[in-house]
Amino acid sequence: MPETPGPTVQTPEVRLPPQTFWSRVRLRVFRPWMVKFCAGYIVLVCLIAIFVPFLATGKPYTCIIPAHHGVPMRREYPLFRDLTTVSWVLLVVAAALAVQAGMVFVTRRLPPDPRRQRRRVSLALVTAATVLASMLIVTLHHNQLDATNYRAMAARGEITQAIFAPIPWGYAAMEPLSKNLINKLPSQRHWLGTDGEGRDVLSRLLWSTRVAMGIGFISQFIALAIGVLVGAMTGYFSGAVDILLMRLVEIVESIPTFFLILTFVAIYGRHIFYIMVILGVTGWTGYARLLRAEFLHLRQLDYVTAAEAAGLPLWRVLFRHILPNGITPVLVAASFGLAGAVTIESSLSYLGVGVRPPTPSWGEMLNAAGNPATVFHWWQALGPGMMLFITVLAFNIVGESFRDTLDPRNVNAG
Amino acid sequence: MTSYIIRRLLLMVPTLVGMTFLLFAVVRFAPGLREAGQANVAQGMMQSRQAQRQEELLVARRLHLVDKNGHPISLPMQYLLWLKSTCEGHLGTSLEYPEPVLKLIAQRLPVTLTINLIAMLVIYLVAVPGGLLAALYRDRLFDRGYGLISLALYSLPAIWVGSSLLGFFANPEFFNWFPAAGLHSTNTQSMDFFQYIGDYFYHITLPIVCSTYAGFAILSKQVRGSILENLGQDYIRTARAKGVKGSTVLVRHVFRNSLLTLITLTGMALPGLLGGSVIVEQIFSIDGMGRLAYTATLARDLPVIQTVALIGSVLTLLSYLAVDICYAIADPRVSYA
Repeated sequence: MPETPGPTVQTPEVRLPPQTFWSRVRLRVFRPWMVKFCAGYIVLVCLIAIFVPFLATGKPYTCIIPAHHGVPMRREYPLFRDLTTVSWVLLVVAAALAVQAGMVFVTRRLPPDPRRQRRRVSLALVTAATVLASMLIVTLHHNQLDATNYRAMAARGEITQAIFAPIPWGYAAMEPLSKNLINKLPSQRHWLGTDGEGRDVLSRLLWSTRVAMGIGFISQFIALAIGVLVGAMTGYFSGAVDILLMRLVEIVESIPTFFLILTFVAIYGRHIFYIMVILGVTGWTGYARLLRAEFLHLRQLDYVTAAEAAGLPLWRVLFRHILPNGITPVLVAASFGLAGAVTIESSLSYLGVGVRPPTPSWGEMLNAAGNPATVFHWWQALGPGMMLFITVLAFNIVGESFRDTLDPRNVNAG
Repeated sequence: MTSYIIRRLLLMVPTLVGMTFLLFAVVRFAPGLREAGQANVAQGMMQSRQAQRQEELLVARRLHLVDKNGHPISLPMQYLLWLKSTCEGHLGTSLEYPEPVLKLIAQRLPVTLTINLIAMLVIYLVAVPGGLLAALYRDRLFDRGYGLISLALYSLPAIWVGSSLLGFFANPEFFNWFPAAGLHSTNTQSMDFFQYIGDYFYHITLPIVCSTYAGFAILSKQVRGSILENLGQDYIRTARAKGVKGSTVLVRHVFRNSLLTLITLTGMALPGLLGGSVIVEQIFSIDGMGRLAYTATLARDLPVIQTVALIGSVLTLLSYLAVDICYAIADPRVSYA
């Protein structure tokens, strides 16, 4: 008797959400409300770091200088004239990020693009434009020193229709000694009080985000770049390469970073650039070790053999096939590393070997809060302490969430 | 086992050579070596030019920059000479203080060591039971709360906590409960032993608080993780099934297996024990290793910097080795044959 085919089962069309790495990150890592809150806080701090020249400065966005001595009335834009090179570059980078995010948002409704050609082209274009614009700014723009006290001018009626920033104090603007506004508690005029030189604490608090985020992100970017390269090499090629590079890892590991920075500062003077580079150049060993372990395991898997057999170039096998599967522990560590870099910078600035005055940094502000055993201006310490604490905690909570949800070696991974 | 240790020690040699080379390079290529010599000279009063030159030569000679006749020595030779004298135990004399580096370290090390040992004891006494309980009450209120609180403590910046503790609790303006600086009162001579110890603990309370609170998170997280991992093993179910008491299962079966994690973490903490925290020692004015290294660095006191860094690096390497050996002792499954 011939076999009668059973009724064919109609499998319903189930549209699964795309299971890319980043969609998994979005769905799982950022699910708890606290992690969402922390991520939001970090984004907020980054936005403050970029846009702080518009938030806390003594220069008005715009004002009108009335006609005087035969000069006709004219409209001026002191704030924009006063922007530094760094501010302009940050604005360009922010604009590029916004454009790229908009591009992703717009193209996600279009038909699928399996090779991600569109995204890649737009990324390349935006990156090229950003780099070009930044280089132009760095070569052409010169910082101007505008010491005009626009607030006083507005008060005297020498300028009209002035629109000031929400916090009309620059980070270095000092209250005149005559006004007796030094080391004052919070008031209507200075929302978080003033410090020992009569500067607005809130303004300095916000400007400090630049140093903190700059050190955190740039140093960890350097560390990740070196760590990924060395980790991939040691894990993929065993033998001589591995033995040699691991000795390098051990040597770098045994260098006390804190003292290396101190030595550099003692010898070459203090500069934020040294801190960034030294933190980056000594901080990669953990990433390299983590990635080495992942590569040792992953390179034995069949899909890697298949990729090799297909004749793909080495960098493609390493960085497109193996790396994405082994990057998770590194991401976890990078999140903690960022928090660590922010802490180290603040400690150095506290000891007086970090940023150069009058650049504000949370550590420097804590130090300026007075000799705690005799005079302790608590309102000067509260703000930077809280900001440091919450920033570091936010990075740590995001890192914990990464580890709990994505790390394959975590026993609790759901 | 012996062959394993020998192999590991041999592997340490290239690392050590690389490290000493690095140390040498950092110090030798540092500009301002001359100034360091001159600063030393400036301490002496009213010296003639001749005497100044002599003094400078002496410093240069101590740092192996010139030979007996005052001729400059080539860099590789400088390195070898420095290495030779270091291996012989001549670690040089401090440029800041008129004392040998080793004597300075011998003065400062006990201070840091006692404080760090007490701090470590406190950390272990809190974090190990904490991690154990968090594992037993997994995902319940205690676990979540303990995890969050210890993470928050971990994130608290020491500079803020330290300066606030000092500013609020050792300050006549607020509460003058604790001494602001130092380790002993001035009248230690008239105290008997117990008073002395009491005085000591009174002085180190704030520094100990400041150097312990951050340590709970990592340790208890690791303890929790490893206990959870062991709790899920088959042999635990077997032990329970054959009627072993719950507490015995925990102590004998689970905890013993979690010891490995503890050993690793302790080993990693060993170099830190001797290093001392610059921040804590600086805030509370404690003359320990951290402060010594800090002031030496800022004063470009090269022999002190070199020695402290060298000792730190060697200890780091040795403690890694010690961890691996302890592994083999604690866990019979680990073999390094």
